[in-house]
Amino acid sequence: MYNPSYQGNSQASLLWAVLFSSALSVTGCATTDQHPADATRASKGKADAADPYEGFNRSMYGFNMGLDKHLLKPIANGYKTVTPNFMQTGVSNFFTNLKGINVVLNDFLQGKFEQGASDTGRFLTNSTVGLLGLFDVASDLGLQGNVEDFGQTLAVWGVDQGPYLVLPVLGPTTVRDGAAIVVDKAANPGTYVPGTGIVEGINDRANAEGALNFIDEAALDPYVFTRESFLQYRKNLINDGKSNSTDYDLDIDADVDVGEISSAKPKESNATQKPKADAAKKQPGHVQNAIEVTPGSAKPNSATFDSMSKSFDNAALEFEKASDKMDLFSKKKRQRKHR
Amino acid sequence: MFKKLYFSLSLLLLVCLSPLAVAEEVSARQVVDEFQNQLLSVMKAGKELGFQGRYDKLDVAVKKSHDLPKIARIVVGKQWEELTTEQQNKLESVFSKLSVSAYAHNFKDYSGESFTFASEEETGRGGVVIHTNLHIPGEKDVKFDYMMKKKDDSWQIINIIADGVSDLALKRSDYTSVLSRDGFDALIVKITEKIESYAKQ
Repeated sequence: MYNPSYQGNSQASLLWAVLFSSALSVTGCATTDQHPADATRASKGKADAADPYEGFNRSMYGFNMGLDKHLLKPIANGYKTVTPNFMQTGVSNFFTNLKGINVVLNDFLQGKFEQGASDTGRFLTNSTVGLLGLFDVASDLGLQGNVEDFGQTLAVWGVDQGPYLVLPVLGPTTVRDGAAIVVDKAANPGTYVPGTGIVEGINDRANAEGALNFIDEAALDPYVFTRESFLQYRKNLINDGKSNSTDYDLDIDADVDVGEISSAKPKESNATQKPKADAAKKQPGHVQNAIEVTPGSAKPNSATFDSMSKSFDNAALEFEKASDKMDLFSKKKRQRKHR
Repeated sequence: MFKKLYFSLSLLLLVCLSPLAVAEEVSARQVVDEFQNQLLSVMKAGKELGFQGRYDKLDVAVKKSHDLPKIARIVVGKQWEELTTEQQNKLESVFSKLSVSAYAHNFKDYSGESFTFASEEETGRGGVVIHTNLHIPGEKDVKFDYMMKKKDDSWQIINIIADGVSDLALKRSDYTSVLSRDGFDALIVKITEKIESYAKQ
């Protein structure tokens, strides 16, 4: 109702397999041309440490929105029209339950043993009594589900979130969370059954309808709105909802009382505040190590980066053209009918 | 005899001072409480009221409990100082209208929701955060944290953080982005469009 909630960013896993290789190359160049990007941004007076690749991300966002408007949204709407509500809930429960193994794994990796035990009970209950996860019996028994993934675990371990990224089809993520998808997918049984990814993707899109509509209604700049809510939402998940209002308070206080607003956004100041104190000392460079970037490939990478960005822009344009044609076509059809 | 006079005098004094006294005694928690109750009552009567009816009721409630001028100022960041007085006034008025419209649009019907108070927390520089939970039947509770500031002896809402997502931080990024990319006039046009689209549905 008030805050958009993101249903993870797992979509069609078949597509994912193809696309993740490109995601890696994106992060590769992302790490190499960081400094020039920062410099130009600073000169514009629009420094945003969390999003150094705004240009690239914006064209990806445009591409994703085009894809959504002309393909994913119609499919999701169709799915919602033909499927009864109880079945939609069942499908949703089923895929959430499949993620259960990964939730338990990450509970333990983060040292949350009590929560891990509860989530284990949840997974076992729903997989058996809940008929392979179709029914969420555990919630009724008081075992509330938790959202955990490897990206959150990395954050708890002290890995910096790295630059914000918008991946084609997969949507908003960060370098850290994007790399962590490998583990999340590996720990999800659905990954090993061909075809399920597509159903899961449709289900995810259908569930995201409310959040996407909210953004559409409320945002002046939907790209920025999505980015900010995504980063804040992730941060809240990492902190397990433990109050961080004081962080915002300090920042806002500074605005109000001093009457001068620092260009630093709330999340920037928070970006250095990691769950573990020693994390702040670490350099963001270790994120790059995690995904093994070869430093020698700087130039070709940024060239492919640019051309990729352009080709996605073109694809977004093509969507528009195609939809215009469709509109024209359906109009003609209607006119013919009238005659 | 004197006793009676003193009594009536003190009573008179009490009556004279009571508006002041009451204003001083309204706590941050009470402000949030009252606003949430008003919101729920508007939601309950949402369908009969229609958009305009909800808008009129919430206009009073929101303006009473929120420091909208200050919020409008914060959401444009440091660019506030670069605006002319006329522009600042314009922004304040459209921003107020947008905020009330958003409430009137997003809280249009009632399906058993309720708010409960969780805790109160003092922050640095004299602010208070009121932690509350919104219960929606069949769904997970949503945390609503209200950041309060004292303004002329009364507490006012300055930010709402829903499940860790700060409305003010979100708006500030959104507004400053439009301001620096497209300028002030475009910002006002976009806000006006949003108000219109909220009113339509």
